[in-house]
Formats: sequence, C-alpha cells, structure tokens
Amino acid sequence: MTMNEKRRDLIQKFAALGSLTVLIAVFAVTSRAFFTTTNALTVALQVCTIAYLGMGMTVVIITAGIDLSVGSVLALGGCMAAVLIKGGMPVWLGMTAGLLLGCLAGLLNGLFVAQLKLPPFIATLGMMGVARGVILQITGGRAIAGMDQAFGVLGNGALFKKMTIGADGYPDIKFVGIPYPVIVMVVLAILMSVVLSRTRFGRHVYATGSNNEAARLSGVNVYRITVMAYVIAGFFAGLTGIVLMSRLVTGQPNEGIAYELDAIAAAVIGGASLTQGGIGTISGTIIGAFVIGILRNGLNMNGVSSFVQQIIIGVVILLTVWIDQLRSKRSTRVRVFANQKQVERSGAPAEASEPARRAVE
Amino acid sequence: MTASEATMSHSASESKSAIPAPAGPELLSVRGIVKRFPGVLALGGVDFDLRRGEIHALVGENGAGKSTLMKIIAGMIPPDEGTIHLDGQERRFEHVLDAQDAGIAFIHQELCLTPHLSVAENIFLAREPMRGPFVDRARLRAKTQALLDGLRVNIDPGAIVKNLSVAQQQMVEIAKALSLNARVLIMDEPTSSLTENEIDQLFVIIRSLRTQGVGIIYISHRLGELQHVVDRVTIFRDGKHVRTADFGAITLDEIIAAMVGRTLDQKFPSRTSHPTAERILEVCNLSREGVFQDVSFDLRRGEILGFAGLMGAGRTEVARAIFGADQKSSGTVRLFGHEVTIHSPRDAIRHGIAYLSEDRKGHGLALEMQLAANVTMANVDAVADRLGFLRFGDEAAAAEKYVKALDIKTPSIRQIVKNLSGGNQQKVVIAKWLFRESQLLFFDEPTRGIDVGAKYAIYQMLDRFAAQGIGVVLITSELPEVLGMTDRVVVFHEGRVAGVLETGRSNQEEIIQYASGQKTRAA
Repeated sequence: MTMNEKRRDLIQKFAALGSLTVLIAVFAVTSRAFFTTTNALTVALQVCTIAYLGMGMTVVIITAGIDLSVGSVLALGGCMAAVLIKGGMPVWLGMTAGLLLGCLAGLLNGLFVAQLKLPPFIATLGMMGVARGVILQITGGRAIAGMDQAFGVLGNGALFKKMTIGADGYPDIKFVGIPYPVIVMVVLAILMSVVLSRTRFGRHVYATGSNNEAARLSGVNVYRITVMAYVIAGFFAGLTGIVLMSRLVTGQPNEGIAYELDAIAAAVIGGASLTQGGIGTISGTIIGAFVIGILRNGLNMNGVSSFVQQIIIGVVILLTVWIDQLRSKRSTRVRVFANQKQVERSGAPAEASEPARRAVE
Repeated sequence: MTASEATMSHSASESKSAIPAPAGPELLSVRGIVKRFPGVLALGGVDFDLRRGEIHALVGENGAGKSTLMKIIAGMIPPDEGTIHLDGQERRFEHVLDAQDAGIAFIHQELCLTPHLSVAENIFLAREPMRGPFVDRARLRAKTQALLDGLRVNIDPGAIVKNLSVAQQQMVEIAKALSLNARVLIMDEPTSSLTENEIDQLFVIIRSLRTQGVGIIYISHRLGELQHVVDRVTIFRDGKHVRTADFGAITLDEIIAAMVGRTLDQKFPSRTSHPTAERILEVCNLSREGVFQDVSFDLRRGEILGFAGLMGAGRTEVARAIFGADQKSSGTVRLFGHEVTIHSPRDAIRHGIAYLSEDRKGHGLALEMQLAANVTMANVDAVADRLGFLRFGDEAAAAEKYVKALDIKTPSIRQIVKNLSGGNQQKVVIAKWLFRESQLLFFDEPTRGIDVGAKYAIYQMLDRFAAQGIGVVLITSELPEVLGMTDRVVVFHEGRVAGVLETGRSNQEEIIQYASGQKTRAA
C-alpha cells in the first residue's frame, strides 16, 4: 500500500474511528469498571458475533449485494451442529458440519442472485425465512439442552488463562485469558483483510461491485465471485452459530433474530456503502462492530435502560454515516452530476436508513 | 465552406465588431478565473466572452480546463479568483439553481433526464403547471408541445424518455433549457453520440436559437463539424486562454496547432503495416436473433479492418457477439484457422480477443477504483503471484508505463478514476486492454472524446499492432477515421453487411451510400 492509499483508507475510517475514540473516553470517565483489561476482553467477546457476521456482510456489500439471512443461517448452522453432536457425532465433526451448512445456505443465496438474477434483498429475505423455518421444524422449536461440556469449549474457553486453587479450595483467577472466539476473530479479520486488499480474488470482488458489466467484459468471473461472496457470508453465519451455541452450551433455534441488522450496521459504520458497490473494508467493519459493542457495554455499565440504549445506538448509526457522507461529498464535489445508473438507484438511500431504523426497534 | 460563410455574415450583422474585443456589449464576460484542485491548477486566470446570438466554440485538449470553466459558469463549482459578468452585471453563483435562474443552461455530454418519466414531465420537473393540488396534465402537455413545435422537432410530449434515442433526449434537454428562458446555452460534446442525420438536425436547431439571441458555448473535439455552426472559436491549453478568433479568420490547422502547442502535420500516421494473405479471423453467417443476420467477413494479418455504419446498424453488436458479451444464435467464428466456441468474455479473452467498449463508464471502468486497479483489471494474473497475492510493485510499474505512454493526466496512479477527466478515463480503458496484450483487438470508438494529440498516439498504436501481426478491428462513426486508418471496411446497414470495401479505392460518399442502404453488395 502506498502512502496515498493508506491516507485515504484512514480518512475513510475517520468517522467510525472518531466515534469509537469518543465513546471509549466518555465511558472511561463515567464508569470505573469500564477501562479495565477484564472488561476489554468482555467487550471483545461480545463484539465477536457482530464482527463475524459483519465481515461476511462486508464482502457481500462490496459486491453491491446484501445478506439478510445470516441471523437465521447462524441458528441453522449452530443448532444442526448441536443436534448432530447430541446424536453422537464428535464435537469437531459436528461443528464442521454446522459451518458447511452455513456455506451451503450461502451457496444457495449466491445461486439465487447470480443464476436466477434475483435481487439480493429478495433472495436472502427468502433464505431468512427458509433457514429459520427448517431449524425450528427440526428442533420442534425447543432448545437442545444437556450438551456435553466439550461442546462449550470453543465459546467459553480461553488462552493464557491463569488461575490457582486458593487455600479455601476455590479457584483464584489471576488472568481471565483471551477467549477463543476473540482469537478466531483476530485471525479471521487479518485473513479477510489480506484477502480483500492484497489478492486477486479481493480485487475481483471490488471490481464486480464497482461495475459489474465492466468487470465481466474484462474477463472477471463475476458469477463465481458473486456466489463466493455469499458463501463467505454463509460461512461466517455458520461460525457465529456454533460459537454462540457453544457459549450457551445449548442449541437455541431462536438465536440470532435481527442479528443481520447489527452486521449491516457494523459494515455501514465502517464505511461500506449500501447504495454503491465496491466500497467497504474489513478493518472499517471491525471498528463498526466495536462501536456497537462498546456502546452497549458502556451504557450497561452506566445503568442505562435497554430501551434508551436502542435509541442511542440508532442515533449513533445515523450520525456516523452522516459524517461519512459529508466527507465523501466534499472529496467528490467536482463530480456534481450523478450518472444515470445512480439516478435509477435513487431508491437506495431509503434502504440505507432501513437497518438503522430497524436497529432501533 | 459555404455554410460557414453564411454563418459568418450572419454573426457580423449581429455583432458590431469582427475583432474579438475584451470589452463591449457582451452577454457573458468572464475575467481572470483561477481554479485550483488538489495538486492541479485547472484554470490559471482565463478570460472568455460570449455575445448575444453567437455560437462560440471552446476547444482544447483533455484537461485544458474547458469543462472546469463551464462548471464555474454554470454555478456547479465556485472559482477561486475571477469574476463573471452577465449583461454587464457581476454575478456570483452559489448554486446551479442561481445560474439557472440567471438564464444559464448546461447540456451535458451525458444527458441527465429522468428515464422513466415522460418528455413533458422531464421538461417541467418540479415546475409542473398545477390546478389546485393536482398537476394540470392538459396544460403540461400543451406547454411542452409548444416548446417542441418551436424547435420543430417531432417528439410526443407523453413519450417515456428512456424509449427515445439519444438525439431525441438531447432535444428534450434543449427544450428544457428554453423553458427556463436560457440565454446562455452550454453544450458539451453535443454530437458525440449522434448520427450524421441527427447532427444536421441539431445544427438547424442551434442556428435557429442563435437568431433568437441565445448565446451558445459549444464544446467539441470534432473540429471538422465546427465550420457548420460556429461564429467564433476560443482555444484553451493547460488551463490558459491561448487565442480567440472569428472562425473565418483561422484555419483548422491553426486551431490544432494552438491546441497542442505545436503543429501536427497529419491527423493520421502513415501506415507501416501491410495486409498479408493469412487470415486471423473468419466470421461466417453470424446471426443474433432480431439484432443482426448473416454477417460474414474476415480479417487478415497486418490489416486494420473498419466497421462502419449508422448507429444501430449492428457494428457494436457483432463485435460484442464475437467477444461473447452477448450470445449469438448461429454462425461460426474461426481464429487463426481454428473454429472457436466463445460463450463469455472470459472465453474470448482466453483466446486472446480484446473488446474496448464504446460505453466507457457503463462497460469500461470501475469508477470508484484506482487508476492502477483499472489498468490491470483485465489481467490481474500478470500482477499476482501463483497464490493469487497481488504484487503492488509490478502493478504500479504497469500503470506508470501506460500513464506515460498514453500521456494520462493524473496526480497519481492511485487516483480514483472517477476524478479523472473524460478523455483521460478513456485512455485508462485503452491502457487496460493494452496491458492484456491480445491477439485480436476490437476497438469500439476508441477516440471518442479524446484530444487530437492522444488520438494520433492511438492511431500510431493501432498501426503498430497491425504491423506486429495483431488483428485490429476499428469500429467508428467518424468516416475520416475509417479512410485514414483502415485497409478495408465492413459497412453495416440494418443488421446486415451492406458491403466490404477496399478503403484505398473507396471514399466517404460511397461508404455513406452503403451505410444508408442505397447500395448493397455481397461480401
């Protein structure tokens, strides 16, 4: 990356990064328990699910699509893993099956979009209903409880956990350790960031989203890229499912409702554009996920009611994206007249505010 | 030159002086405009005058500052320094609407109408005649009809804009400008997507506007057509005003010399390649249901083959079908003697075929991406290692090479393509296909909207490719380009090959006869 590119990348994240810094500063002052290592790890753990889903969502959004099904697909993947493991499958195999199921749902989404040419919004709206219905039918709507403890290791375990057994026989925790989900998040964030910014595949993803027809005429396999984007989103949904269920040590078929909106919000706060493909970064989305996570955590610690929390989070989403709009408007002031395609898509800004509105509900 | 003589006498009677004077009863007078963009001085203190009832051409190479000045006049961007006087009164436009209210209308190269509304609705958008809370549809239609009648164009006020031809849409834009009582009309490359016939019509309308006292600023790269309409010409170079002259008092060569800052002896390079007997491409009875039928032609090594014909005759469509961008319904394509099956652009590119689209924004560029990424888009493999990781150094080197070779004006290869001027964007698309190093090139209107110097460079390149044994098909609406560059030309008429002519033994008139269907000959 050249300096120029780096700087642009930084400016892109300015709005999100700015609000993140402000949030941390405010909460550090208002709550003594906030600015501690233990709480930082708690936040990181809470942020994981938004970050996983957000990363998949980012790839899809860059291709000028959207995936509304991830909340349902995570329930499908996570619960199926629980069902299979309860039925006697080894934990690792059951979880892999859960991940693959997520990928399969993503593959279908991708085929609906690329092959049947359905609008992404509709295709994934359909999958949202189907995936949720399938898992509710399989489980009869009941939680799968009484899971083996081994199922809970991924969600509850931690690396470098230091504890000694005290004189009273109770464990004395010196360091809570880095939760496995956080490690997975960091590794995947780095991986995805590299894939999107430094590989041929990533370049093709941006090209496909930026101008689908130009990419196709340039020999980019836009069909494959589109399908792959949804498969990646499905993979992350499956991953989120098994991590969440593992943390609960229970298969919960009602888990993940409306999570897709958090994922979209994280991506959008991080600079991804719902009106125009080809824009968005993994690092931005991670920052967006932390903005949402820290806001919830900090407001909780300050005893703000969950109703008020929703209002505040909604407002923050609006503010962040508005600031980002102002910035991009200034940098492209020269180009005043939108081309026809953008005019035709003028319904899109209404869509953009949709997740924000829904997140408030 | 009869047409221009007529216009000259006309303008002479309108304006008092034949010599361009800085002061006087100018309709629009611009002084000392300076505009800086990050890293670029777009305008370095330019002057420009426009009289009532005058058609004033503004010419210059890409990046000369024409568009920037027009945007300032139209209130789209503020100048850093300088003044604008309209009717002798100093004006400052904060917004496009301010300029619009003052009577300045800007008709862009890319038209900005709302495609799904009717002609009448577009013209009176946000100014609909009302009866109570409802739109008065009868009056809306009548007012529109009156405007269109005034222009003597035959368009139904109720027609949906997206169903109109580009030429008709342009007429709607002009009607809209007139409905706003425009006194200054800025037209940016108005003829770039029109056919010969439509251009003639447009000129009739422009001339009639002149007699009504409208001042018209006419921006065009097609210098040849200026003589039909223009009274005066102003030449810009690198953000500076070079010269303003009555059109009759300056030759085309002088204009070109002033634009490029040097004299160009020829518009076309002499051809170094010569056709051989070896066939690179053989197309046999190619058809696409309802679009074109039974198209057959061949392309020989060392040859530049032209595709000529009116708009919609099937030139572009044939190329797209060979390239796999659209499916053909029947027919065969043989490449270097072997029949090839091409289902997608990917297949075509793998066979060494490149297709440069005429629609650079819609089909050529990823506008939000960097220049370098656009250059390598069709050949990312060349700058990626075996694992698919990009080698940014190689990419930068490739981009730098073409920025230099094509003289692309950009602050950096990391510049977002959206921020480049139109001509420079076109060069980026060309660079994309040059970087791909193909065996067979379809170049569809490669010089549209490009300045004279860059055109020449592209012509030279085409000749060099042909000499290297690369097949070159040049699809163009500009007959001089056909005559100047091609060895043979396939003339299309209504989806069929009307004739394949030896360019050297043909002429402009004959090509037009074939293109318009007056003459046909089996290939």
